[in-house]
Amino acid sequence: MIMNKSVNVRRMKIIRLRAPLFLFFLLFFTAVSSLVGQTAEAEKNFAQCKACHTIGGGRLVGPDLKGITDKFPEAWLIKFIRNSQALVKAGDKDAVKIFNEYSKIPMPAHNFTDAQIKDILLYIKKGGKLPASAGVKKVPAKVSPASVQKISLSERYVQEKREGSRNLAIFAVISAVLLILSLLDLIFTHYLKAKWIHYVILLTALWIIGEWSWDYATGLGRQQNYQPDQPIWFSHKVHAGQNQIDCEYCHFTAERSMHAGIPPASVCMNCHSQVKSGKRTGKKEIAKIYAAIKEKKPIQWVKVHNLPDFVYFNHEQHVKVGKLNCTECHGDVAQMDQIAQVKNLSMGWCLDCHRAHKVQFTNNKFYGSYKKLHEDLKAGKVDLVTVKMIGGEDCAKCHY
Amino acid sequence: MEKKYWQSLEVYREMKRKGASDKEAMPEFSIDGLDESEIKGKSSRRDFLKMMGFSVGAVALVSSCQMPVRKAIPLLNRPQELTPGVSNYYASTFYDGDEYCSILVKTRESRPIKIEGNDLSPISQRATTARVQASVLDLYDDARLKGPQKNGKQGDWKTIDQEIKAKLDTLQRDDKEVILMTSTLISPSTIKLIGEFVKAYPNVKWLQYDSLPMSAMRQANDTNFGKAVIPFYHFESADVMVGFNADFLGTWLMPTTFSKQFSKGRKLKDGQTKMTRLYQFETNMSLTGSNADYRYQIKPSEEAAVLLKLYNTLAKKTGNTVFSAPSVKTDVKMVAKDLLKAKGKSLVVSGTNDLQIQLIVNAINSLLGSYGKTIDLNTPVNLKQGMENDMKQAMSSIQSGKAGGVLFYNVNPVYDCVHSDKLAKALKKLPLKVSFATTMDETAALCDYVCPDNNYLESWNDAEPAAGFYSFTQPAIRPIFDTRQFQDSLLSWTGAGKSFQDYLEENWKTNFFPKQKVFAGFDKFWFKCKQDGVYYFASPEMEQPKYKGAKLKAPKPKNGAVELALYEKISAGTGKHANNPWLQEMPDPVTTATWDNYLTLSPAFAKSRGLEQEDVVQINNQLELPVLVQPGQTEGTVGIAIGYGRSHAGKVGDGVGKNVYHLMNVSGGAKNLLGTVVTLKKTSKTYPLALTQTHHVMEGRPIVRETVLGEFIKNPAAGNEEHEKFLKSENFSLYPEPKFDAFQWGISIDLNSCTGCSNCLISCQAENNVAVVGKEQVKRGRIMQWIRVDRYYSEMADNPEVFHMPVMCQQCDNAPCENVCPVAALSHSDEGLSQVTYNRCIGTRYCMNNCPYKARRFNWFEYVNNNSFDYNMNSDLGKLVLNPDVTVRQRGVVEKCTFCVQRIQEKKLQAKAEDRELRDGDILTACQQSCPTDAIQFGNLLDKKSTVSESNDTGRMYHLLESLHTLPSLSYLTKVRNKEA
Repeated sequence: MIMNKSVNVRRMKIIRLRAPLFLFFLLFFTAVSSLVGQTAEAEKNFAQCKACHTIGGGRLVGPDLKGITDKFPEAWLIKFIRNSQALVKAGDKDAVKIFNEYSKIPMPAHNFTDAQIKDILLYIKKGGKLPASAGVKKVPAKVSPASVQKISLSERYVQEKREGSRNLAIFAVISAVLLILSLLDLIFTHYLKAKWIHYVILLTALWIIGEWSWDYATGLGRQQNYQPDQPIWFSHKVHAGQNQIDCEYCHFTAERSMHAGIPPASVCMNCHSQVKSGKRTGKKEIAKIYAAIKEKKPIQWVKVHNLPDFVYFNHEQHVKVGKLNCTECHGDVAQMDQIAQVKNLSMGWCLDCHRAHKVQFTNNKFYGSYKKLHEDLKAGKVDLVTVKMIGGEDCAKCHY
Repeated sequence: MEKKYWQSLEVYREMKRKGASDKEAMPEFSIDGLDESEIKGKSSRRDFLKMMGFSVGAVALVSSCQMPVRKAIPLLNRPQELTPGVSNYYASTFYDGDEYCSILVKTRESRPIKIEGNDLSPISQRATTARVQASVLDLYDDARLKGPQKNGKQGDWKTIDQEIKAKLDTLQRDDKEVILMTSTLISPSTIKLIGEFVKAYPNVKWLQYDSLPMSAMRQANDTNFGKAVIPFYHFESADVMVGFNADFLGTWLMPTTFSKQFSKGRKLKDGQTKMTRLYQFETNMSLTGSNADYRYQIKPSEEAAVLLKLYNTLAKKTGNTVFSAPSVKTDVKMVAKDLLKAKGKSLVVSGTNDLQIQLIVNAINSLLGSYGKTIDLNTPVNLKQGMENDMKQAMSSIQSGKAGGVLFYNVNPVYDCVHSDKLAKALKKLPLKVSFATTMDETAALCDYVCPDNNYLESWNDAEPAAGFYSFTQPAIRPIFDTRQFQDSLLSWTGAGKSFQDYLEENWKTNFFPKQKVFAGFDKFWFKCKQDGVYYFASPEMEQPKYKGAKLKAPKPKNGAVELALYEKISAGTGKHANNPWLQEMPDPVTTATWDNYLTLSPAFAKSRGLEQEDVVQINNQLELPVLVQPGQTEGTVGIAIGYGRSHAGKVGDGVGKNVYHLMNVSGGAKNLLGTVVTLKKTSKTYPLALTQTHHVMEGRPIVRETVLGEFIKNPAAGNEEHEKFLKSENFSLYPEPKFDAFQWGISIDLNSCTGCSNCLISCQAENNVAVVGKEQVKRGRIMQWIRVDRYYSEMADNPEVFHMPVMCQQCDNAPCENVCPVAALSHSDEGLSQVTYNRCIGTRYCMNNCPYKARRFNWFEYVNNNSFDYNMNSDLGKLVLNPDVTVRQRGVVEKCTFCVQRIQEKKLQAKAEDRELRDGDILTACQQSCPTDAIQFGNLLDKKSTVSESNDTGRMYHLLESLHTLPSLSYLTKVRNKEA
């Protein structure tokens, strides 16, 4: 056991990069605690699948799994179950077909081991009844609680920023005190004979206070590093990071509306009708979803990314048309337990991107109307078309 | 000789006096109402300290403020069709008892925010009127009842239902009549349901009541054709139209349909040189009259005589019976000649509810062979079915006590019937009085029970405005309050145990679905009906019924007496929408007055009576109204708009103007707007009127360009010589000529089509969250509407030619406003738009000073959340109408037309998302979308095949004040009048 522990501790460093492995341990630790047998484990694991699938009971959200093992090779199935969206994105024909057939609802990633998936497949093959004969595996690993509390890069960035501001404020206060003291000495007490010291102190103090004022003033009305408490202790790290659920599985209007959309509680229930208990928070937090649905009271999330009312921002334009990655504005959400605003969302920040970012100019027929730019592009006068070149700096693109 | 144009009589007089129009513009800033110290601009040391203390405090407060915590609250379970941030459109039907229109309701996050025209409707053909546009605000009216009421107190449906049922049963047992008084109903399902209700309670008598009935026309058609109908008119098939006191472009019968039809014959596209001609004989200056090629002034009492003279002239030439007619001065030779020339392609209508007049009109039309060509008796219009005899009977049975109960649906007779005081008195004695009004109106206030009906945007219904043309109403929002549809109330009282939605569907399944052959299954058929909002059942071609002549006669015109001509305003209508601030503040297209009704009289008549504008006059020694001197009004007559003077409309409409329904003329048997004889007495009082016509004067520059048809045929650029001058002139600018790639947005306005109906104005107001500012502010020239429909007169003050011209921001490529902004809040976009960035604006108003078109508006006050502007933007309910895509402007900010940039962006994004090029016609601005005459075209000027480029490609095109070299993106096409030179 000691051996195991030390191995684990070493592994912790790369855990962020290998979320599936991490979950493998977690799942193993929790799921196999009863250890009656493999079927029991498979049955339990299959509970997750039941939210969307049946075995011989017809289609639900996803396809009927009866006979699935005869239809597809095992290796493919393992890949699909582990991360179906990766397969779809890679352009796998079967995966895309299934994805399209089931109204483009992505199957969330599952962090099972090969052995576990094989067990589940066996369980499906047997129609979800017969016990298997294989022996019992012991749980090899134990996860140290330290891993959970470890903060992510972006969270650390947020914290550092906050500390930076705080330090600056402390400096400013100290400078203010020094400034007053040196002024008093200069005018009344005359302790220090060398007057240049006063002036140096005065200038430095003014500089620091100025710096702080600038920092403070530019932050007015902005909420960089804003990280409010949410009504439910929901972790993007668990959902988007460890479980690798695609952002647009929950924020499904990002490609067709100005709003990315906070998922309705019914979307949570796609999985949480089965997953009733979290690893860190137990049943307490998930129960809040059930309560919301039962009492018909929507969950009042705190909005983190706020823009002023006079700004029009459209997700569809940026995500679908501009093909931007969510992380470019929202930071590495997959590493955040509690969502924070990473970028300052100022107009300067928007424009910086508009000036530099390439437009999908040749891939989208809409831009065919820009005849002159196309000619320039062909003639080699310009090598890429930025948002700015098609009016991305116009006021009325965002203010109306 | 060049014509002189003028906007107000003061300008006209000045013009006559000096021979030139150089009247100074009214100052945009007025010092009326300021303190003396403020005017002198003095401030004391104390003021200075106060101000400084305040500013320091404010800064400290602001800097210590935390950002507010904002919530993002998702739905628990998202309905499939709802995507937050994306608009949904539902086809529906507007019908308020007077006016029918097929519409699309734009909803955002499940709340209706805008009405659009439905292009699938063969009746309204994507057109709407200002009233239809504004109706979305009625949904969010604070005056709406929040639940059923018993004796003015909130009750609950169950007990109220029980009590009403019990009372109905008692009345049935006692064999007392119960009167169900409704507005004209055009819903076949509702009519069927009422039939069933009457079967369940045989003592119920159903009657339809119109505040402005057209019973005389039905009667006349009954006499002449054996069919008591209102025929379907086809103005588009008529080459010569003659209107007698019928404002068919503004308010009469079906203005949307008629405007579409009318404009079709007056488009001069693609080298067309034919144009229809409109003669208008009228008392007041109506919108239709202002668009007529020839306009004749007649007194109400002369109408029959003039018509008969016209008939006799025609009859003489065609060899028909001539009737004896009293002599009138009005010359009808030219009309008669034109009518005869266009025989079979001519149409005469009269809006006067008088049997004699309608009989003569029928005789003329029959003589001209209009039936079957421009008048279709086989497709009767179902509007205005109210017959006055029914109402008279009901009135007497209420008074005599023969009736024991009365139910009012969508009518307000205590406000709008001639003998409203008698009715109010008689009502008190009745044991059962129920109203289905949505607000506590004058009638509902006298009722024991009010069972509030849903707003039409919350209801299910169907409609048959004209035979065979069906139309559907579907809810675009759940009932906001605890209200219930009228039909559901009836259903629950008959104990049918189903909702009207099911009833409607069942009715269509059993009675209408079998009649069609396109759809095999009902579900698909019903889905199609709801999706399109309209369905048409073609009826077999039938021969028009034979005309049976009647004896024609005309009374002798009254001499000397002052005759009153009441009229319906586009904005106020019959007074149903009086609590709608958008409509109250809509400038009347002809008088440009807001927020009031008034007495209109001609300049000469006013002078002879010693009356000036805004003098208060006593009418019949009781009613007091201010004078508005109206060029074009018939001498010896006065006009007053109905629909004002509500006492129970709500916070906006109460006490605005005076109620004049009791002045209707009932001497001829039918209720008639025209012809009451009144006495006028000048008082010493004056009353201010808020007119917008002189807000933004353009200093006598060549703005109005027009020609006559003959000249136009010779030279399409006739009347537009200034444009040629401009093209030839050398222009020198320090600024580089802007160049565009891909898009340069432009609008083209055909002044020959534009009737000035002001639909665009309200549509723009709804789309762009334009604030209502109130009469006081309008008076000071601070109106906010982004479009103003300028009205110019030319020629004589007694019978002027009128010219309507919508003016909004011209989106100049060389914009004078942009380069004077000290904070760069104004800039020019890559697509040719002049952009305002509200958050940058500091309100210097330099741009307003520098705009030659006066198209910019300044937010003098915070109009949102400000109880001093108690209209719609200060209540949570009223704010629901705001368009979330458009910023609500704050105080101290300049705003103006943006060419609906939010719509441009939306459609561009849609094209990008669908990976296709933007098509011409994808983007429709709010003003263009529902324009009843298709006068406004929007599109890409760089695309030479776009509609806007094509319509600009004519000699008629000019820019406003082009000599200033502002290079506007908005262009106008000259007006062509079909007149002999």
